[in-house]
Amino acid sequence: MDNSAQHSAVARVSGLRKSYGPADNRVIALDGVDLDIRAGQFTAIMGPSGSGKSTLMHIMAGLDQATEGRVQLGDQDITALDDGQLTILRRRRVGFVFQAFNLVPTLDVAANIRLPFELDGRRPTNEEQSWIDVLVSTLGLASRLGHRPHELSGGQQQRVAIARALATRPALLFADEPTGNLDSRTGRSVLALLAAASTEYGQSIAMVTHDPIAASYADRIVFLADGRVVDDRPRSSAEQISALMLGMERAA
Amino acid sequence: MSRVTPGARGREHRASILVATLSSSFGVLLLTVTGILDTVIRADDVTGTSGTVAALLAVTAVVFVALAIYIGAVVTANTFSTIVAGRTRTIALLRLIGSTARAQRRAVAREGVVVGLVGSAAGLAIGVAGAFALARVGVATGTLPDIAYPVVEPSVALPVVAVVLTTWLASWIGARRVLSVTPMQAIGGAQELTQEEATARPIRNVAAIVLFILGVLLLLGGVGIGLVSPLGVLVGIVGGIVSFSGLVLGAHLVMPPALRLIGRLFGSSATARLAAENAVRYPERSSRTTIGLVIGVTLITMFAVAAANFQQVVLAMRESQPETYEATQAVIGTTVAVFSALIGLSALIAAVGMVNNLSLSVLQRTRELGLLRALGFSSGQVRRMIVLEAAQLTIAAVAVGLVLGVFYGWAGAQAMFGSITGSPTIIAPAVPWLVVAVIVVLAAALTAVASVAPSRRATRISPVAALAVD
Repeated sequence: MDNSAQHSAVARVSGLRKSYGPADNRVIALDGVDLDIRAGQFTAIMGPSGSGKSTLMHIMAGLDQATEGRVQLGDQDITALDDGQLTILRRRRVGFVFQAFNLVPTLDVAANIRLPFELDGRRPTNEEQSWIDVLVSTLGLASRLGHRPHELSGGQQQRVAIARALATRPALLFADEPTGNLDSRTGRSVLALLAAASTEYGQSIAMVTHDPIAASYADRIVFLADGRVVDDRPRSSAEQISALMLGMERAA
Repeated sequence: MSRVTPGARGREHRASILVATLSSSFGVLLLTVTGILDTVIRADDVTGTSGTVAALLAVTAVVFVALAIYIGAVVTANTFSTIVAGRTRTIALLRLIGSTARAQRRAVAREGVVVGLVGSAAGLAIGVAGAFALARVGVATGTLPDIAYPVVEPSVALPVVAVVLTTWLASWIGARRVLSVTPMQAIGGAQELTQEEATARPIRNVAAIVLFILGVLLLLGGVGIGLVSPLGVLVGIVGGIVSFSGLVLGAHLVMPPALRLIGRLFGSSATARLAAENAVRYPERSSRTTIGLVIGVTLITMFAVAAANFQQVVLAMRESQPETYEATQAVIGTTVAVFSALIGLSALIAAVGMVNNLSLSVLQRTRELGLLRALGFSSGQVRRMIVLEAAQLTIAAVAVGLVLGVFYGWAGAQAMFGSITGSPTIIAPAVPWLVVAVIVVLAAALTAVASVAPSRRATRISPVAALAVD
């Protein structure tokens, strides 16, 4: 399965650097990252706190600007896009699942899922609506469509977020610690859903996590430390990933 | 004790201090001016012997000052309850390490006392200085006789003390939410604030409904009596006060449906729907935010409608007594203008409350706005959403106020003049379109002003910073 020849890149960063703060007290979050996210794959980006993994995701998703280097999504160079263009890009080409606070509290489940279309000032087309219906029933949300987020459990909220993120068939779905707020059983079912979206629908996914169990659901695991890519592995077991992480901690 | 930096506290309380200052300076100014007029009347040979005019002036002043202080208190209670909602996590942390809920509530109320003292003192200074300046200008232009006027009336202690006490009381009422904060909220996941629990208050609801129905019955009774005797207006006034008190008490039953109705008019775009939901997200908060404006618009409209009706009646009788007509015309015009200005101050206080509330609510929605930005909400859409929220609040308040004002004004005129032709007459309500137009223009301006600061702040929110787990 892991034959890179079969997979073109859906996102690519090269020579990516990101620093914050004034010149005399610079904090370097990313220190020269080159990375391809392959189409149709479930990629995990792992690293300890402060490794720069969230910053990398934010820049690839058009939420933040690079200090140096190039960022591509699909075949579009997004490095120099302005705020308005990035907004449209996020709306149409990117899906998000965050750790918490994924849903708009004043909207019910159905409206939350439709939100990306409505932000575009349109209703989902028939074809899109039937895709949403498929997602809703696959994710077990059919009886929840009229509920508000505060009436749902944490796992249900994450499933709604996944449905919303998949609804627009984005080029790339970003998940930022999607199981961080869930108990381990609920967390595993959410991970299984993400993995299934990748294998069954060919959805490209980039997931940021520090949890070896979460990363073990991915096709590929990229390790980040101190703002650099330090390792790149195909699918691995949670034990192998834990061992690698421990090794990195010792080396640090 | 946690100490948030004094600067941050000061900013949070800026609006409440402004409201206290406005109420107190208005009270001081009005009572001092009343005192000056009283001195003028006493010095006059003709009117000096009669205490009626002076007493009437004093009563009028007290009524308008009380109205301003009342609306100020409602605004302040709302502001404090919004501030407390924003501090939930800090309060929860203090509860976690052993502070009692009552101690926390007292701490908030102490801030209220300080706000009241600062605002009231500033108001005293402004009011005294303003009245002194007015008196000098009056003497200089020859409007007032050049006699000694008291600089500080003893009666100004009344509004100054009342503002401190009502601000303290308002902060205590606004801090009620503190009691429902649990220590668990300090360590729980970063969930959004739950929807404001619709607190069941059966006693308050029943009282509001009973007062309203009773008042309307009295008012209609007054209109009925008015068909045969002008004394009907006395019954009508009682009915008006009682029914309006019921409405204010039951604002949480009236305003949310009105807001929903207005929200629906804005269409079904994502921006409009989110704005509509936000405006009724905390029904209690929205009701308190709008009720001050409703009171102001109702009273101004009521006086204007009653005056317009009165003019119609006078117009009809002009043929018989043309000279009386000229005189009353001028008196009515002046009275409406003076009353509108006096009520306008209360409306201004309500507007300050609205502007502040919108700002605070945007501040407390940082995460949600960050999420919307991440999902593809453009900064233009964010701005539109906030303008629509402000518009919804002002339009609902103005619409309710106009309807009530026209009704009360007509009922008053009908009760007073229904029998004036000698036989029972139904008077068609006269709507003073100029006043309505001015109110609508001011409401539009308020919407614009109220949404400037919050929308600027909201569009500056970076999704990355907003979504960072705190």
